[in-house]
Amino acid sequence: MIRDITIGQFYPVDSPIHRLDARVKLTMTFIYIITLFMINSFVGYLFVIAALMAEIQVSKVPLKFMLKGIRSIMIIIFFTAFINLFMTRGEHILWQWGFLSLTVEGIMLAIKMCIRLVLLIVGSSVLTLTTTPIQLTDGIEYMLRPFKKIGVPAHEIAMMMTIALRFIPTLLDETDKIMKAQQARGADFDTGNLMQKAKSLIPILVPLFISAFRRAEELAMAMEARCYHGDENRTRMNRMYMQKRDYHAFVLGLIYIVAIIGLRYASNIFPFLI
Amino acid sequence: MKMVKAEGLTYEYIKLLETDHGTEEEKVAALKAVDLEIQKGEFVVVLGHNGSGKSTFAKHINALLEPTGGTLWVKGMDTKNGELVWDIRQTAGMVFQNPDNQLVATVVEEDIAFGPENMGIAPEEIRRRVDEALATVRMEKYAKHTPSKLSGGQKQRIAIAGVLAMKPDCIVLDEPTAMLDPVGRKEVMETIERLNKEEGITIILITHYMDEAVRGDRVYVIDDGEVVMEGKPKEIFSQVERLQKYGLDVPQVTEVAHLLRKEGIDVPADILTVEEMVGALCQLKLTI
Amino acid sequence: MSIKINHLTYIYNLGTAFEKRALDDVSLEIKQGEFIGLIGHTGSGKSTLIQHLNGIITPTQGEILLDEENIHRDKAKLKEVRRRIGLAFQYPEYQLFEMTVYKDVAFGPTNMQLSKEEIHANVISALETVGIAPELYEKSPFELSGGQKRRVAIAGVLAMNPEILILDEPTAGLDPKGRDEILQAIKRLHEERGITVILVSHSMEDVAKLVDRIIVMHEGKAAMTGTPKEVFCHVKELEAMGLAAPQVSYVFAALKEKGFDVPLDVYTVEEAKKVLINLVKQVSV
Repeated sequence: MIRDITIGQFYPVDSPIHRLDARVKLTMTFIYIITLFMINSFVGYLFVIAALMAEIQVSKVPLKFMLKGIRSIMIIIFFTAFINLFMTRGEHILWQWGFLSLTVEGIMLAIKMCIRLVLLIVGSSVLTLTTTPIQLTDGIEYMLRPFKKIGVPAHEIAMMMTIALRFIPTLLDETDKIMKAQQARGADFDTGNLMQKAKSLIPILVPLFISAFRRAEELAMAMEARCYHGDENRTRMNRMYMQKRDYHAFVLGLIYIVAIIGLRYASNIFPFLI
Repeated sequence: MKMVKAEGLTYEYIKLLETDHGTEEEKVAALKAVDLEIQKGEFVVVLGHNGSGKSTFAKHINALLEPTGGTLWVKGMDTKNGELVWDIRQTAGMVFQNPDNQLVATVVEEDIAFGPENMGIAPEEIRRRVDEALATVRMEKYAKHTPSKLSGGQKQRIAIAGVLAMKPDCIVLDEPTAMLDPVGRKEVMETIERLNKEEGITIILITHYMDEAVRGDRVYVIDDGEVVMEGKPKEIFSQVERLQKYGLDVPQVTEVAHLLRKEGIDVPADILTVEEMVGALCQLKLTI
Repeated sequence: MSIKINHLTYIYNLGTAFEKRALDDVSLEIKQGEFIGLIGHTGSGKSTLIQHLNGIITPTQGEILLDEENIHRDKAKLKEVRRRIGLAFQYPEYQLFEMTVYKDVAFGPTNMQLSKEEIHANVISALETVGIAPELYEKSPFELSGGQKRRVAIAGVLAMNPEILILDEPTAGLDPKGRDEILQAIKRLHEERGITVILVSHSMEDVAKLVDRIIVMHEGKAAMTGTPKEVFCHVKELEAMGLAAPQVSYVFAALKEKGFDVPLDVYTVEEAKKVLINLVKQVSV
């Protein structure tokens, strides 16, 4: 049932990508996402796909897992494709009906947008599949630290993420239990119209919220009892060290950026690359 | 040396009552002038039914609550002194009832490291303490596991390890077994006893289970915010009717002994275990 | 009415790497008006079993017959099955959600689409049975004490007028007073309403005091079944399954070992007193 939903989709194998520092992976993913929006030619996308495929090979995570993420955003992809197909104005009109028009430019744009979305999802899956939630939150905390001066609560954000990850399985279990208990009292979650269905959620949501608040209160007390007082004078058991391989990865990343920028200018000079 | 000392410890809070004339305030005393002393290395049990004030008392030892009257010292430190709060919490660690609501991290060893990390201890030392604490509660194998997949008893042992890593002199356990099954209860009780006997850690166990209370060196019974009985388990449990008046149980064999004595059969009143009962019955047969 | 369980097998996560056989060919029969104690340590399959009885889980193999009819035969009737076989989960107070005690107890019967009068009658009768005083009816359930909350939650199941009531660890986490109140309420509803009760419990002392028949679950199988007298004299077997008999049973097992002529099927304090007085008198004559 509800318990089958997997959260924190870390894929536990040992690979060069798994061993990289989370901060490196976060930075690279960030750069990767930016480059996706810099590219405007199919040759560029081919290059990105090739680079991504190579990375996935190295990560030892089966491609099947990488592509799983796409399924969940299928609707968004279709929607994007639809909007771009029919709402794009262009010179080469193929078909028109009211405000809907099909143009060559539209088709091109739709294809590019879809590739972009798929690459976005698969690329960030590499990050979440090869990095444990703990490494990820630690990395985020570390990287946000410089922004603390301008009021970004780096430590608090990381702590909230940790606690959320810790309590998601607990609350899922609890939801399952409450649903069963209300079903045993004859509650029906499956039939009826939208309004009735929404109403049938109350007997689940109210106990769930009350329980979440109770848990939050108890957890806060338990944390205080263990001397928690924010990140003032706080140390960590696991420190993050940059190693040789991390610098190597950075160099590869730089080469990648240069290549992308090069491709972008190349497509300006040689428009036949589209 | 005194680990915990309470003198006239009082805690009052305001409760809002919904009445026909609107909301009224009512002052409730959860603790009423409690006096007690717990020595270093003791295993003390605090017994009482739900709402007797025993949990409120436990929270005072950890400076999670501040007395509204009287004073509580932990290893000589006054819990009202705000500057000493972190020292007090490090000295007297606390384990709570619900195993799910006191673990913070998604990996067991990260959770145990949480306390020492808050205390600002050097990373190498934290590592050492975490490994040591895991070994003490016999959970080394689970260092990299996620807490949500563990049994209740295992979670509670992780919570104990989390406190141990802070190197406390004293551990307060607030009904640590109430939500566990018999196997989990046994695991936790064995761990607690080992900490007391082998590590010399002062244990303050808050409970309403008699079979657990029997294992302490000394028992305090709290009822309606007051200490009503104090003594060794044998002295306490031989007073069957008085305990029942306070909404508490006695072990089955103690109750049997009590009933036999009422019938004029000469068995000791302070029988607490099966072995003692059997021994007493054999004795009886031999003497006759 | 009666429940028959025929060769019930249930496997969690069937077809995945996490496959787990929770129930393994269990066959049982529960008769009208019985008071059953279901014991077994965590993971023995007892929770899975009771969720099957209520139709919340569908068997992997085997069937559950309620009055000779498979409860899963007609999906439309499943709601009626859930009414007839009431199930109060562990820590049932966590399912409370309504503004008042009365409304919360009325949730079940309202779902059953009973008439207003029937709902009212059921709610009042259920609350009376569990010993909740009328002045609490209009209070928020969240203002009550732990033991009261739990009794209200049990009343919520009772108000559907079940013919069988299954209670999963109804005394877990309660203090002796709260526990006694719940157990009295359960005893009362068994006696007054004559309904079949299945009590799932870790506490052998509670089970010993109340039930007519015990079913011991172990590793997904019904390992033992019989009256408390029959089950509790197997102290060693129970220990091997991670369970314990009531303390008194151990005394008699030890006395027997020492050569005393005592019965082994004594498990309550009252009975122990009687037998021991006789024993002492015999010796002194």
